[in-house]
Amino acid sequence: MLQFFHVPALTTTILISLIALLTLAGIMVRPFKLNEAMIALAGAALLLILGLVAPLDALTTLASDWNTFFFFLGMMSISALAEAAGLFDWLAAQAARLAGGSSRRLLLNTFLLGCLISMVLSNDATALILTPIVYTLVTRLRLPVLPFLFACTFIADTASFLLPVSNPINIIILSSFQLDLWTFLRLLFLPSLVVISINIAFFFWLYRRQVQGSFDAKRLPSAAESIRHQGYFRYTCTILLLVALAYIIASALQVPLSLVALGGAFLLLTGALLWKQLTFKDLGKQISWSIFGFIGGMFIVVKAVENTHLTAQFGQLLIHLSAGTSLGAVAVGTAGSAIGTNLINNIPMAIVMRSALGATGHITAAARLGFIAATMFGCDLGPNLTTVGSLATILWLLILRRRNLDVSGLDYFKVGIMVTPLMLLAGAITIWLLLL
Amino acid sequence: MRVLCCLDGTNIEEISKAVSTLLQSEARTIGLLYVIDSGPQGEMERQRERFLRPPHPPAPRREQMRQAEIASAQDILEEGTRYLPGGERLQREGRPEREIVQCAADWSADLLVLCPRSPKNPGPPLGPKSVGHVARFVLDHAPCAVLLVRGIGTGSHL
Repeated sequence: MLQFFHVPALTTTILISLIALLTLAGIMVRPFKLNEAMIALAGAALLLILGLVAPLDALTTLASDWNTFFFFLGMMSISALAEAAGLFDWLAAQAARLAGGSSRRLLLNTFLLGCLISMVLSNDATALILTPIVYTLVTRLRLPVLPFLFACTFIADTASFLLPVSNPINIIILSSFQLDLWTFLRLLFLPSLVVISINIAFFFWLYRRQVQGSFDAKRLPSAAESIRHQGYFRYTCTILLLVALAYIIASALQVPLSLVALGGAFLLLTGALLWKQLTFKDLGKQISWSIFGFIGGMFIVVKAVENTHLTAQFGQLLIHLSAGTSLGAVAVGTAGSAIGTNLINNIPMAIVMRSALGATGHITAAARLGFIAATMFGCDLGPNLTTVGSLATILWLLILRRRNLDVSGLDYFKVGIMVTPLMLLAGAITIWLLLL
Repeated sequence: MRVLCCLDGTNIEEISKAVSTLLQSEARTIGLLYVIDSGPQGEMERQRERFLRPPHPPAPRREQMRQAEIASAQDILEEGTRYLPGGERLQREGRPEREIVQCAADWSADLLVLCPRSPKNPGPPLGPKSVGHVARFVLDHAPCAVLLVRGIGTGSHL
C-alpha cells in the first residue's frame, strides 16, 4: 500500500520495527491464547499489505529456506511413522527391562534413551513422544512421576546438539552458515557430552531421595506388547538405521538434510501403507502444520527487519560486545541466544540471530565460528531455563502462585533455573577451549 | 467418626498404623482416597505448546496414559483395603490438594489423615519445610480436623 506514496526511509524503518516488535511481543504473551503461527502470519501479512516488504522478496526468502521447511516435514513424519510402529514404546520397555528393577538405573536409562532419540530423530521426538510413554511406564511402576518426566523434557534439549539433525534450530542456522560435519562435531559434540553429564549428575543429586530402591518388574509391559506389526516394526528399524547413517553421510558431504528426512519419511510411509499401519490422513493429523506458518511468518518479518539494516546493526552490537574475540563471541552468543530464546520462542530467536550473524563478516574466523556454535548451543539449550515456555509464561505462573493457586509449572522452572546456567557456562567454556 | 485417609501410593503403612493406634475400629468409618494428579498431564500439555503442537497428545496415547493412571489408582486403593479392611474406596482426579479438601466436604469427613510429605521424599524432619505443599494446602483449607502422620523413622510419628 505504502509503495504508492513516497514514504521516508526513517518512517519505513519505524513501521517495520514496530510490526516486528508487536509480532515478537504477541508470540511472548499470546493474547487470547492465539496460536503463535497466527501471530507470525499476521505480522508478515501486515508487512506485505503495507508494502514494507515486497511480495517477490518474501517469496524468495521462503523459497531459499526450503531445506528448513522440508526438514520439519520429514522429521515430524519420521517420528509419527516410527511411533505408529511402536518403536518408542518398545525402546522404553527395553530401557525399563535393562534397569533390572532399579529405579536409579531406570532414570539413567531414560536419560540415555532420550539422548539416542534426540540425536537421531530430534528433540521433538523425545519431548513429545517419549515423555508420555515414560509417564505411562512409571505410573504403571508406581514410581514418582516428576523426576522421569523432567528427565525427558530436559534431555530433549540438552542432547539436541549432538548432531545437526538433533534439533531443527541447527538446520535453520546451518542453512545460512555452511559448517561441515567435522567442524560441527569438533565444536559441539564434546560440549554436548559435558552438559549431558551435568544434567544427569544434577538430576541424580536432586532426586536422590525420591528415586531410590527398586520397582516391581512384574508390572512392566512386555516388549512384544508394544509392537503392533512385526513386519512393519522390523522394516521401520531398518529404515531408521539407514536414515541415521544417511544423515551422517549427508552432513559430511553437505547435502541438504531435508532430502534425507523426506526420503526416510517416504520409505516409512510406503511401508506403513503396505502393512496398513497408517493412512495419509492419520499421518496428516500427526503433523503440526501451523509450524510452517509460524516459521514462514517469522522468516518474512525478519527479512523486512533485515532490509532496514537493523539486524546488521544488531550483529555489529554483538561484535562490539564480544570485543571480536572468540571468548567474547562464545559468551555473547550463548548468553544472548539463551536469554532471547526464553523471551520469545527459540525459532524466532534463531532466525534473528542468523540474520544478525550474517552481518559479522569482518571478524576472525575463530570468533565467527564461536558465534555460530554458541548461537546453536544457546538456542538449543536455552529453553531448559524456563522449560515450560517463555519467561512471559513463567511470570504468569508466578502471579498465579501469589494468588495461592498451586501451579506445578513452577517446579520445572525451579529445576531449570538451578541447572541450566551451570550447563550453559560449562558448555560455553568447552566450546571456547575447542576454538583455541 | 468418618475418617478420610489420603493415600499417595507410598504412605499406607504410616497412615494405617496411625489410624489403628488412635481409633477403635468399631467407632470409625474409613474412607480411602487416592487422587490421580492432573499436574503431570498439565506439564506435558505445556511442553507440547512450547513445541507449537496442540496441547493434547493423540487419542491412543491419551488412552494409554489414562489406563495406566486408573490401573495404578486401583492398585493403590486395593493395597489400602488390605491394610484397612472395609474402607470405602474413593478415587478422584485433579490437583491432589484441592480434591482432598473437596472430597472431605463431599464425604462429610470428621477427620482427614495424611502424611506431611511422601515418605519416599521426607524432606527435613521438622520446621516449615517438613510439610509439603499438598499437606500445607489441606491444613489451610480442610473443612474438618486434620491428622498429619510423620513418616516412620523420622522420630516422632504424630
